[in-house]
Amino acid sequence: MKRHQTGLLNQALLIVVIVVLAVLYLCAALGLIDSNVMRIMLSMCLYCAMGTMWNLMSGHCGLTSLGQQSFVGLAGYTLAVMTTYYSLPYGAAIIVGGILSALLALGLSLVFFRMRGMYFAVATWITAEALKTIFTSWGFVKKGAGMTVKLRPYPTTMEIFILALTLAIVATLVVHFLLKSRTGLGLSAMGNDADAASSVGVNIFKSKLVCFVLAGFFTGIAGVIFYMNKGSIFPTGGFSIEWTVSIVFIVIIGGVGTSVGPIVGSIIYVLLSEFLSKYPGWSNIILGIIAIVVIVVMPDGIVGTLQKKFHFEIMSLRRHAPE
Amino acid sequence: MENLLEFKNVTAGYGRVQILHDLTFEVKKGEVLGVIGPNGCGKSTMFNALIGLITPTQGNIIFKDHDVTKMSANDRARMGIGRTYQVPRPFEGMTVYENVLVAAVHGAGMSEKAAQPKCIEALKLTGLYDKREVVSGTLTLLDRKRLEIARALGTQPVLLLLDEVAAGLTEAEVGDVMQMVADLKAEGFTIIWIEHVIETMVNSTDHLMCMSDGTQLLIGDPLEVMNSKLVEEVYLGVEEDE
Repeated sequence: MKRHQTGLLNQALLIVVIVVLAVLYLCAALGLIDSNVMRIMLSMCLYCAMGTMWNLMSGHCGLTSLGQQSFVGLAGYTLAVMTTYYSLPYGAAIIVGGILSALLALGLSLVFFRMRGMYFAVATWITAEALKTIFTSWGFVKKGAGMTVKLRPYPTTMEIFILALTLAIVATLVVHFLLKSRTGLGLSAMGNDADAASSVGVNIFKSKLVCFVLAGFFTGIAGVIFYMNKGSIFPTGGFSIEWTVSIVFIVIIGGVGTSVGPIVGSIIYVLLSEFLSKYPGWSNIILGIIAIVVIVVMPDGIVGTLQKKFHFEIMSLRRHAPE
Repeated sequence: MENLLEFKNVTAGYGRVQILHDLTFEVKKGEVLGVIGPNGCGKSTMFNALIGLITPTQGNIIFKDHDVTKMSANDRARMGIGRTYQVPRPFEGMTVYENVLVAAVHGAGMSEKAAQPKCIEALKLTGLYDKREVVSGTLTLLDRKRLEIARALGTQPVLLLLDEVAAGLTEAEVGDVMQMVADLKAEGFTIIWIEHVIETMVNSTDHLMCMSDGTQLLIGDPLEVMNSKLVEEVYLGVEEDE
């Protein structure tokens, strides 16, 4: 497919996406969506935002974290503490939860960026486990008994869904425009080979920092919105490795390093989880088998494979030389 | 002629293993310095120390009258040190053009728009212009070597470091690469060039340095260095009394 044809296809797809999103907002606002469907779409939006951020780190920048649950749990507890203890509005908790998660990422980066590859991944995982232990024994957050989220004013599922949908859109656009920027060019180079990128002038520490802090911020906000809907938080759930396992599954299924892979992956993951919830003992096994099959049959994920096969790229990040 | 680079008693290595020992040499502006030496003598490590991938434990590296010993690799690239790798390390998921664009934008500090003509210039000089939209992971070894040079040129370097650009190529391909280096020399680049095709180095360099055990064994006129018994003994394994 020629460059101008790809451009036209991308524009057409963009228009379709904008129309679909506008219809979604309208239907949600008018109460035309069934509450159960809205709950499912809410999950899709939150996983999409988290998957997009993990994809930015691992798929584009070579920074694989296994500790995204640190941000989810920390931000979830921020919501619980702010709303239950201090009766603050959830809007403030969304902002503070995001900022605290970003600050956690900033603090961790000072130590963890000395590590590479698997060592970095394990360090982020251990941090999440340490946070789980701390919150389980911390009296202020009621130890392992968990906390109830008392929201004032209490938002409807429609309002929470609109927040989640907005978060997914903003996260996708922020990552897309970041990768299209001068910084993004360096991030992509770093993801390919950090030493070689450094030797052509890319500031590796700054690039990693941008990714990690941004991922912390958005993953934290997703955590706040998730627990707004759930209504209670426990250390075992908030800091569970299941969060990262789900995010990794979503990105692998959708397509690592593709712009829309996390969107497709989150839709598939949530629908599969809903279906498999009838078989609690089997759900994780079946999800694992699906992930393995996709890795073997379509190593570029669903979106990546389709893009390669039909020579197109949705929300392409390619830079072209002038004709 | 004014010195562009000075290595002053540099000792450096990886972890506890020191590869360079008290290495001292200088390079003048516009000069092409060839570097030879047996495998493992520290040639590539010298480049790694020079671009900032490793930090010397002793000694100083002076570039453009600034002490860059502790400076980060990306800052040195921005000061004008461009480097190729012995085993090419292209950004495999990116196109040929994007590889050079990264260097021009981050190494030379240009905007993407301002960088375009410079990238095209580098691609034409290295014979990669027609492959500018090819994903670099699919390139042949010769083209990867060309891309290494094009990417280094993208940073708009004052000093160009070439690490065995002819290694692993066929005789015909070596000729192409040598011509490319000759063109770069004609453009006035200051070059440090590590190579094993020694005969070509004699004709293409202003000075030749032979390294052994991480230090400078001999530096001077290429022909004199080549004919030195000391170099023969260390580099070619010929005993002086044979």
